[in-house]
Amino acid sequence: MSDLESDYRQDWIGKTSAGVLLGFGLAITLAGFIAWVGPQGPDAINKYQFVLWIVPPIWLGTAAACYFFSSGLKAWLWLGSANLLAYGMMVLARSLFH
Amino acid sequence: MRSEILRTYRKVHTWTGIIAGLFLFIAFYGGAITVFRDPLTRWVDAPNTAASTDFDRAGDLIAKTLAAHPEAAREFSLLVSEKRDGSVEPARDVQLSWQKSRRDGAPFSASLDAEGALKVAQIHPSGLFPFIDIIHRTGGLPFNRDIGEWIMGVVSGLYFLAVFAGVIIILPALAREIFALRIGPNVKRMWMDVHNLIGLLSLPFHIVIALTAFVFCLHDLMLPALDKVVFEGRLPALIKAGNPGSRPPAANSPPATMLPPQVLLEKVAALAPDFQPTRMQYRAFGTQTATLTITGFDPRHMMRLHGSVVVSPVTGDIVNAEYLPGHGGTWATITSAFFALHFASYGGTPIHFSYLLLGLAGAVLFYSGNLLWIESRRRSERKNGSDVTQTRATRIMAAITVGVSLGCIAGISSAIVIGKWVSGRVIDPDLWHMTAYYAVFAGCVLFALKRGAARASVELLHFAAVVTAAIPVTCFLAMIFPALKMEADPQINQAVFIVGLVAALVLFRLAGLTQRRVEEGPADSIWSLASSPEFQVQRRERRFPALSLPSIKLRQR
Repeated sequence: MSDLESDYRQDWIGKTSAGVLLGFGLAITLAGFIAWVGPQGPDAINKYQFVLWIVPPIWLGTAAACYFFSSGLKAWLWLGSANLLAYGMMVLARSLFH
Repeated sequence: MRSEILRTYRKVHTWTGIIAGLFLFIAFYGGAITVFRDPLTRWVDAPNTAASTDFDRAGDLIAKTLAAHPEAAREFSLLVSEKRDGSVEPARDVQLSWQKSRRDGAPFSASLDAEGALKVAQIHPSGLFPFIDIIHRTGGLPFNRDIGEWIMGVVSGLYFLAVFAGVIIILPALAREIFALRIGPNVKRMWMDVHNLIGLLSLPFHIVIALTAFVFCLHDLMLPALDKVVFEGRLPALIKAGNPGSRPPAANSPPATMLPPQVLLEKVAALAPDFQPTRMQYRAFGTQTATLTITGFDPRHMMRLHGSVVVSPVTGDIVNAEYLPGHGGTWATITSAFFALHFASYGGTPIHFSYLLLGLAGAVLFYSGNLLWIESRRRSERKNGSDVTQTRATRIMAAITVGVSLGCIAGISSAIVIGKWVSGRVIDPDLWHMTAYYAVFAGCVLFALKRGAARASVELLHFAAVVTAAIPVTCFLAMIFPALKMEADPQINQAVFIVGLVAALVLFRLAGLTQRRVEEGPADSIWSLASSPEFQVQRRERRFPALSLPSIKLRQR
């Protein structure tokens, strides 16, 4: 493990920006996915409020956890892929349930 | 866990904490008081409130008021309260009130006298507790409220990061040291234990408060993004559909007969027998499109600030029960629970007092966090051989911590005292308590910067204690001198007296303990007055007296 430990870089700007920006994108798209696949569809009365409330735990959770990545680059790559995946899932759900 | 990760999270915790800590202190202290805004508003306004009318005559009151003041038909409210005359039968009183415009702070209030004649008076309700609520929401930042709330939204995000990082860094030590509270000569260790203990025990509360505050402050950032990405532009319509009570009634709607208020309350009571109405807000009264929003509470359920139900006064039909406790749809009920967890609007008085304690414990958490920051920096400086002369940043941070925290406590206490004494006596009570808060707060911060944290901590604690003691004194004077016309409901007055007295005594005790620490603490500690300029004139930095940790030093016996 000791040689792995030396791989860890602080990369404050890289990791923080990944967590804040990509965390936001991930939260919005995952909330959207849940809105579409969850019961009653996205237009159910006042469901938009529930969808709104899903955003902060995902967004802030991502922003807080992203210092576990060993570098800023890895954070951007992983979270970027997660964004694309979540967006794809949301579009798929939308086309299936629309 | 890798040591680098732990080190990183220690830094995340330190810096998010030091940036957000003092804002959060103010938000938590103000919020703990805001939990009691309803009874406290009655306390501050009493007895200079408008006259009440028997609820049975509410229909007559409306008719006579609108005959004399037709402009009130656009929007007016019936304020409903339980009669407090000790009668066995539950009965209600009512006041009718309306405003010239939404922003008008001086509403008109109408009542009927014993002969049934209409009496109208303009009242000047105290804005004291709405003001403390704004301090809670904006951290007391003197900007426009939107800017203040945006800043507090960012602060809430940092707060969540601090909580997350705090949990990560404590995990390795958790198994070893859980619930350790090492009271002893190592004051820093003791503060660290206090900080960890409060943080861990109230962890669920802090997660909930951080996330909910984030939504309250920053929903205007998230909703447009959701509208674009998820709802494809349908969101404004969805928001409107969920809340018909907020829709402005159509203009020039044909006239219609309104059902009497008693009948409308019975319709709601048939659906929700335990719902206790407090306010009936009419819009476009006397027309086909009239709406009535009935606000109230049911402590057995989790509500937003209150519960509410929209009724048609024409047909008596329930138009929207989404926010009627126990009758909302799935999604409104789930989100109401999130609101309730922040506002303590469930479970009644025991929950309110729990939130008071959790809020005050949170304030202690942030205060102790700042002290630990200062302590760690002091220690590293001593290792570097620079001994007790502190860097400018540490000195200023210590002074600001003491000034902001104690300034907030003293400022809110003085706003409450001034607010109560001017209530009903001046036209613009808001100016008085706002001036009191900001003058005392700014004064305390400047004083702490000038005097240094050591002396200021003792002196400002004494000051805050004296100002806070003026609250129970006010209650006492209001009670024994009815000629002052300040007496509130005896139950509320006694509760304010007791809580104010306990708060003042705690502050006096803290002042005494801090003084002892400053005078008798180890002389080599920079937390001692002994290292201040008066004792050691040769010290380089003379503008700022040395730091003294305003901490509880327990004597070794």
